[in-house]
Amino acid sequence: MGRQFRKVVVLGANGAMGAGSGEVFAAAGIDTVFLARTRDKAAEGKKRAEKMAKSTALGRFISVGSYDEDLAKVVPGADLVFEAVSEDLALKRVYFEKIAELRRPDSIVATVSSGLSIASMAQTGDASFARHFLGIHFFNPPNVIVGCELIPHAGTDPLVTEEVTELLQGRLGRELVRTSDTPAFCGNRVGFKVLNECAQLADEHGAAYVDALLGPHTGRAMPPLATIDFVGWDVHQAIVDNIFAHTKDEAHAAFALPASMKAKIARGVLGDKTPAEGGFFKKGGKSDVKTPEVAKQMRALNHVGRYQEAFDVFAEATGPDAALMRKVILGYVSYALNRVGEVVERVADVDRIMGFGFNWAPPGALVDLIGARRTVALLEAAKLPIPRVLVEAAERNQRLFDAAHVDVGRFFHG
Amino acid sequence: MTRPVYILGGYQTDFARNWTKEGKHISAMIREAVTGGLASTGVEAREIEVGHVGNFAAELYAMQGHLGAFLVDVDPAFGGLPTGRHEAACASGSIALLAASAEIEAGRYESALVVGVEQMKTVSPAVGGDYLGTAAWYEREAKGVEFPFPKLFGKLGDEYEKRYGLKDEHLAAISAINYENARKNPKAQTRTWYMSNDHACGSDQYNAVIGGRIKVSDCSQVTDGAVALVLASEAFATKWAARRGLTLDQVPRLLGWGHRTAPLTFDAKVEESRGNPFILPHTRRAITDAFGRAGVADCWALDGIETHDCFTTSEYMAIDHFGLTAPGESWKAVEEGVIALGGKLPINPSGGLIGGGHPVGATGVRQLLDAYLQTTGQAGAYQVEGARRFATLNIGGSGTTTCVFVVGT
Repeated sequence: MGRQFRKVVVLGANGAMGAGSGEVFAAAGIDTVFLARTRDKAAEGKKRAEKMAKSTALGRFISVGSYDEDLAKVVPGADLVFEAVSEDLALKRVYFEKIAELRRPDSIVATVSSGLSIASMAQTGDASFARHFLGIHFFNPPNVIVGCELIPHAGTDPLVTEEVTELLQGRLGRELVRTSDTPAFCGNRVGFKVLNECAQLADEHGAAYVDALLGPHTGRAMPPLATIDFVGWDVHQAIVDNIFAHTKDEAHAAFALPASMKAKIARGVLGDKTPAEGGFFKKGGKSDVKTPEVAKQMRALNHVGRYQEAFDVFAEATGPDAALMRKVILGYVSYALNRVGEVVERVADVDRIMGFGFNWAPPGALVDLIGARRTVALLEAAKLPIPRVLVEAAERNQRLFDAAHVDVGRFFHG
Repeated sequence: MTRPVYILGGYQTDFARNWTKEGKHISAMIREAVTGGLASTGVEAREIEVGHVGNFAAELYAMQGHLGAFLVDVDPAFGGLPTGRHEAACASGSIALLAASAEIEAGRYESALVVGVEQMKTVSPAVGGDYLGTAAWYEREAKGVEFPFPKLFGKLGDEYEKRYGLKDEHLAAISAINYENARKNPKAQTRTWYMSNDHACGSDQYNAVIGGRIKVSDCSQVTDGAVALVLASEAFATKWAARRGLTLDQVPRLLGWGHRTAPLTFDAKVEESRGNPFILPHTRRAITDAFGRAGVADCWALDGIETHDCFTTSEYMAIDHFGLTAPGESWKAVEEGVIALGGKLPINPSGGLIGGGHPVGATGVRQLLDAYLQTTGQAGAYQVEGARRFATLNIGGSGTTTCVFVVGT
């Protein structure tokens, strides 16, 4: 019998991630305390969670309070304290110091941070705080997106990691991936490499062309630049700047925020959340860009479920459009699979987080469609790094994607 | 049965998908189900001798008829394959199964591919509700009626209330059980949705009344889905089993079937059953027919049931019609935990139609695939431990066409 999680306290429960994470705990029938700066703000978070669950009955598992009045009352009784305040290390530390003073010595403290160093946050408190501290990275909105990253730091008690794993995989039904405590962890590191590369390409080729070429037919729910608009340019900047500053890998240049975006962000262009300014696109705007022929052919094949043939076109089409498509998509495959051994342990981990966290075709599934040997040849032709796991798969003629219950077809739109 | 019919397995698409949002044609659904079914059974396309497709209303939802012909498009080896499409509203999938199994029994073919498919998210819920009305007597029961089927199955609850008494809390419990089971099924439509007994008991902006006593939580979903299943004769199954390292007695077969049709309108059904302890006597007969053919004494010889819970009232009906309780006492099986996963006779471990989803023409085939998975120990987190014999109940219309299968090793 593992640890019983009877009570969870959520800090920052009025925000999207706080309310959404709180919803996930409450939906599992765990008493969840929503805390915010004021009780009213926490109550807004509760309403938000009920709306996500489409149920007021969920509210029976949620109580609300403010930091000033309630933090000291509820933290001592919590089995898990879940921090979801703004992505600001100094601010987070203020709360961690208070939690460290108030918490029961055996309680677990987690942060939903999408990229800050878990180890540096863990050092805020005493030794017990550090041993019981880890990252639980839900993706937004957590009630819909089941992909989740678990990030212990080097000093996290292995038993704590095990207990939280059991909670997330079992009671909370998460598709859980354990990652190393490296910048942006796995999903955002791999995903934002592709997104930012697309943003860089937009300068040269135009945003509409980039999205038409690399849209949902290549294995994603939403075209890449529309995704950046949806996520918010400020959030995008925070993520890629963090990775650019703190990593130095084979795709380092891909994380450099385009100067054009930086200038626009300074002027308040933030994507969909600033509808008057828009982002790459404005809502309701029309594009006169013609869909490239290679994209048209792939969409037509996906429309009738001929995914294999769509990727035959991808692999074999000639001309600059196809070459650019291969550069970005194969770049994704190469970069994602190269994180195996660095950020995650297995191909299945990066496959799961890209499939269930980003709703993108998992890199392993793309390799299977293209063929491991053909992928190696295409990577060579595109002068992209060839990951070791891919070389091994090609040598053994093995398939990479191992989740038999997943319809791979759902990633490829017509 | 004269010649036994074996089930070699199959494939279900993820019922949470929205194929319209994916920009897909209905043929993509058929293709994915069939390629998945062939891959998971290890049966090659050239080994399939006949194909049957169950579908309710692709002409309305997808402006596409003649679905059998799409099988030929899946694999060059299917060139010339005899195919057909079957329709009996929500029982379409079972009718396709009956046709395929009859052909194997008759010795016409050694193997058959059965596909159930429905693409429903092509239209708004209101328009879809109107299309579903064609499964009733449209002019008399559905024309100009918003969401006719919840109202018809609400009437089924009303009839129970009139004859025996009915508490809505028992219907709510049925919903909560199906949702809970669905959380364990990686193909279930609602596997990530929130549901609780409290929620199902309540009625507010998030759980509105749809018609009569039927609330949102009492309803199955609008679902896109396709399922493929391979049936085979003993000769084929014997060779196939050897290839897979199995013995023939490890391969489930259709032990029995029942198939009955009641009058189309709900009022005529009720009129006909006056004085009968069973509200839908033809459904009861289909069940006893299947039990008789399978040599099964009663429901307690089963390890589980996949039933047609298009609404909570239809599962409530199935409980007493299968004989888990005396007529009118289905609530006892709900209260005593008999139908829960881990209970004495679990109903819908998959989540059924309410939790798993209800792509109308695919449902009967999905139920039989789940019966196959259960009786071969392959149902994963929703496995009924040690299951050897399962039954399915698939209903078209307001209890009009009933098909039952008993499956076992």
